Amino acid sequence: MSRAAILARPELPSLVFLILLVAALSVTTPSFFTIPNLQAVLEQVVVVSIVALAVNQVILSEQIDISTGSLVAVCAFVYGNIALTVGGSWVPLLGALATGAFVGLVNGVLSTYGRVSSIITTMGMLFALRGAVLLAAGAQVLNLPPESRIFGLGEAFGVPISIIVLVVVFALMGVVSRHTVFGRNVYAVGGNDRAARTVGLPLNQVRLMTLVLSGLSCGLAAAVLLGQIGQLQATAATGFELKVIAAVVLGGTSITGGRGSNLAPVVGAVLVGVILNALTLNRVPGIFELFVLGVLILAAVSFDGLRTRLTDRRR
Amino acid sequence: MAEPMTASGVSGEAPAFAVRGLGKHFGGIHACREIELEFRAGEVLAILGENGAGKSTTVKCLHGLYQPDEGQVEVSGRAVHFRSPRDAEAAGISMIPQELDLFPDLSIAENLFLGQKRPRRPWGGFDQRAMNRQAREVMAALGVDVDVTAPVKTFSAATGRLVEIARALNRDARLIIMDEPTAALTEKETENLFEVIRRLKAAGVSIIYITHRLNECFTISDRIVVMRDGRLIRSGPAEEFTIGSLVDAMVGRPLETLYSRHSRPIGDVVFEVRGLTLGNVFSNVDFEVRSGEVLGVSGLIGSGRSEMAQAIYGIAPADRGEIIVDRKSVDVRSVSDALASGIAYLPEERRSQGLILPFTIAANMSLSVLALFSRLGFVNRKLEDGFASESARRFTVTGAALSSPVENLSGGNQQKVLIAKVLALDPKVVILDEPTRGVDVGAKSEVYRIIDDLAARNKAIVVISSEMNEVMSISDRIIVMHEGRISGRFTRDEFSQQAIGAAAAGQRLHHAA
Amino acid sequence: MDVPRAADFLRSFRPSRTTGLFVLFVVEIALISAAVPGYFSVYGLLDASRQFVEAGIIALGMTLVIITGGIDLSVGSLLALVSVTIGFGMDAGLPLWLAILAGMGVGTLCGFFNGVMVTALRLHPLVVTLGTFALFRGIAFAVSGAGAVSNFPAWFGVFGQTTIGGLVPVQLVFFVVLAAAFAIMLARTRFGRYVYAIGNNEVTARFSGLDTDRAKIAIYTLTGWLVSIAAVIHTSRISSARANAGFVLELTVIAMVVLGGTRITGGSGTILGTVMGVLILSYLQDGLLFAGVRSDWGLVVVGAFLIVGVFINEFFRKETR
Repeated sequence: MSRAAILARPELPSLVFLILLVAALSVTTPSFFTIPNLQAVLEQVVVVSIVALAVNQVILSEQIDISTGSLVAVCAFVYGNIALTVGGSWVPLLGALATGAFVGLVNGVLSTYGRVSSIITTMGMLFALRGAVLLAAGAQVLNLPPESRIFGLGEAFGVPISIIVLVVVFALMGVVSRHTVFGRNVYAVGGNDRAARTVGLPLNQVRLMTLVLSGLSCGLAAAVLLGQIGQLQATAATGFELKVIAAVVLGGTSITGGRGSNLAPVVGAVLVGVILNALTLNRVPGIFELFVLGVLILAAVSFDGLRTRLTDRRR
Repeated sequence: MAEPMTASGVSGEAPAFAVRGLGKHFGGIHACREIELEFRAGEVLAILGENGAGKSTTVKCLHGLYQPDEGQVEVSGRAVHFRSPRDAEAAGISMIPQELDLFPDLSIAENLFLGQKRPRRPWGGFDQRAMNRQAREVMAALGVDVDVTAPVKTFSAATGRLVEIARALNRDARLIIMDEPTAALTEKETENLFEVIRRLKAAGVSIIYITHRLNECFTISDRIVVMRDGRLIRSGPAEEFTIGSLVDAMVGRPLETLYSRHSRPIGDVVFEVRGLTLGNVFSNVDFEVRSGEVLGVSGLIGSGRSEMAQAIYGIAPADRGEIIVDRKSVDVRSVSDALASGIAYLPEERRSQGLILPFTIAANMSLSVLALFSRLGFVNRKLEDGFASESARRFTVTGAALSSPVENLSGGNQQKVLIAKVLALDPKVVILDEPTRGVDVGAKSEVYRIIDDLAARNKAIVVISSEMNEVMSISDRIIVMHEGRISGRFTRDEFSQQAIGAAAAGQRLHHAA
Repeated sequence: MDVPRAADFLRSFRPSRTTGLFVLFVVEIALISAAVPGYFSVYGLLDASRQFVEAGIIALGMTLVIITGGIDLSVGSLLALVSVTIGFGMDAGLPLWLAILAGMGVGTLCGFFNGVMVTALRLHPLVVTLGTFALFRGIAFAVSGAGAVSNFPAWFGVFGQTTIGGLVPVQLVFFVVLAAAFAIMLARTRFGRYVYAIGNNEVTARFSGLDTDRAKIAIYTLTGWLVSIAAVIHTSRISSARANAGFVLELTVIAMVVLGGTRITGGSGTILGTVMGVLILSYLQDGLLFAGVRSDWGLVVVGAFLIVGVFINEFFRKETR
């Protein structure tokens, strides 16, 4: 890769910022750069990253998915109930994935062939699914047996399974976006949809697929999340969609589609995780979390906006 | 290679591609109708016609972007229905569209391979190296040596145009539609393109070639069809035509009755531009226009003509330079500054920059001057309608009520609504960017009459145009732009197609400043 | 031009969308009244308006925002921030009237901030207001420390708890007046014309000399101001200021606007349509609640209406070039 190409990488600014931040924290906050703390940060980041990797594709194709918070809750509900009746981890996982994929498909069909823009579809879904899970689960609090929590608690070769899951998803998404027609089309559709139509790309299929992918990722994330917390509540993952979008945008993927990378959502998620962790370590009250998240999103998009304005000016 | 074709293309087998009785209308206006065309393997068919003759609509139906309302497209003698360009591409039809239509953030190689089969490595992944190599080869055939891994947005418009051509060549198309492929190319690049077209012909590919440059179609085409006002007017082997007969067929009446130009007194300098510069888009543009004078601006697409005009109009103001109206230097930082200084601009993109299509005729005409018809922020509809009906009379907008949306109007009437809107403030300086794009011949002559009339009212007029005949017929002087600079200045007795064309390509013939 | 006259003639008989929505509303009330004994009474219907006036007032501004092709996700959070400003301002020793003014100022300023971010940096309103969605509520939480203030003096109830003539809730009057003012503004003024112009074609608007940035900033500021009014009513109605006020309010408001026929992609929409959207959605929720259906159904209904409303708007549109 040429130097110019590296400098043009969308996730570069946030990566540099992340490295500087980690360096600064290591110096100022002694408890930060320790193995247990870093592992704790990573485990928290996993759930957001998994979904962010998929939502990244949705945003690249010039759509958005804000239903992920409720969908994760629904998938967790499915996972938990199958786990309680059937037991194990794999059958519940399949159930959660199927649920996620199905809802993603509905989102996708409505947003493409149904001509409802994805923001509306997924916003409606955010409501409807949360309502549904509240109705179905109510005040029920479900405790999962350890055998059903391997995606959250299990370890393989001394590495938490959740982190392995993330690495696998990341690698898989990398291959999909570099080496499949679908993956390449996502960038094209989001970059210029008129041109995509002119060269005969299947716009609707591509966009639909990204939303299915996003649904699938919610199923997987639900399995990890439920494994980590071990307890099912109807209000689980409220506001999760915000963290996901923040991760994608913070990482450097452009909200207007077509420009971004696979690394971006992970960098963004880690950045959010590290900042929130730093707040905790420095005993900043938890109620500032939302405030910080808001500032972060605004700072990231302003930076992106300024950068495009400046580059446009030069041309 | 297939055997030589006759005008009607009659031979034993069915033609590779054909359109039969094709028609398409938009809101009651026929953009084209009763189009019969056959495309044989290894043949270049030139489609000629003035702006708005229906050429682009016809080929967009063929490429699946529009669905025809009448008639059909046939592939190898069988009727097909293309729901989108995807279907057309699958049937072997590829298109180089008129507008630049690329993926700016993606590399040249990526642009060439989108929607196209890619080379793969043994393990199943894409072979990026092979793709880059192939991309370099296709670009090299067009005579360009560039870094194919760099994003398209880092290149000039002319290179972008070549990428677009390369994209069509990189697919295994059996019919390639080229809609004004040379509009942004220099002579050398055009020569390279012709060489490629000859190779494609030899390989049995059919080509539809749409152009405004009449001499090009004698160089490259086997057969010519002429369209006018949405219909096929004439067709035949290229040899049967001369430039004169082509122009007659395109215009449908003697040229002298198309253009209006009365001799009139030319007054003092009203409008001056000195050293106008914007980044690397255009630099050091100087010119002056006198009252009652029409200054033509010629140049290739992407030469900075429109950007220069839009800088004067305050859309994207210049970095440096001076704009002088009536001997007073004016500081234009926004459109309202320009309007207040008496500068008006008719944008080249009528539908996306000029009009608000769902708005009524009256609301469009009054949009820039609504303050004149408002009191305390409330719009006085009576005053507004009065103004609109007077404008409609003056600019002969016919056939629709003032309360009907402009999207239902024909291109010509839409253009007249736009002219009325632009002139609503009675400006001193009028800049018209492609004023006859997409209008029929009748409306065209009316637009020329309006321009002539403006000159008679002592306005300073600048007309930007890609049509050589047009700019030569209505201008008193012409300036030519090339790569953001003025590359030639001509007074009326120096006008010639060759000299202006050479200046547009950046070459200097024997020219006197 | 050969536009068939017969079609024009027929079109004049086709009911407008707003008329259709009105009929839908009447049918809805009739159905609920028939299905749920004891539901229908003038007092009951008027009293129910307390539940929707806040969303309805904000929906007026949201209509303008969406017509210009934007969106404002921050309104629910902003309502919380204004409410907290009022409550904790008073708690900190400000006279209540001054606290109210301060809250209104904060709300309007936050709307202005949204507008500036959207225009000055050419950012997508979706991300900007997503950011301020988190930011405003974050500030509200930070200021309030997740506590609540509810020791308001009795007179503060005037905005949200009193009625006129024992029948019409005060806030309904606010809503009607504001709705009428916005309807007139959108339909009759220059500003209203510019709103539609920007929504249909911002480029043309700019080429026509309109200051599109200023108009957009005005619209977001106006929305912030409306949110402030809604926040005053809300705080007065529940007599409590806390940072979780207005939760998912933004979605309800958007659902109302879209149901009322405003296109989510901008360009068209009316205040009267929005008012119908407000009524239909609110009385449906109210009816369900009255019938003893669990309140969680409300979320499902809003979600479904949002999608179905846009689907009806978009799917049956004629495609144009």
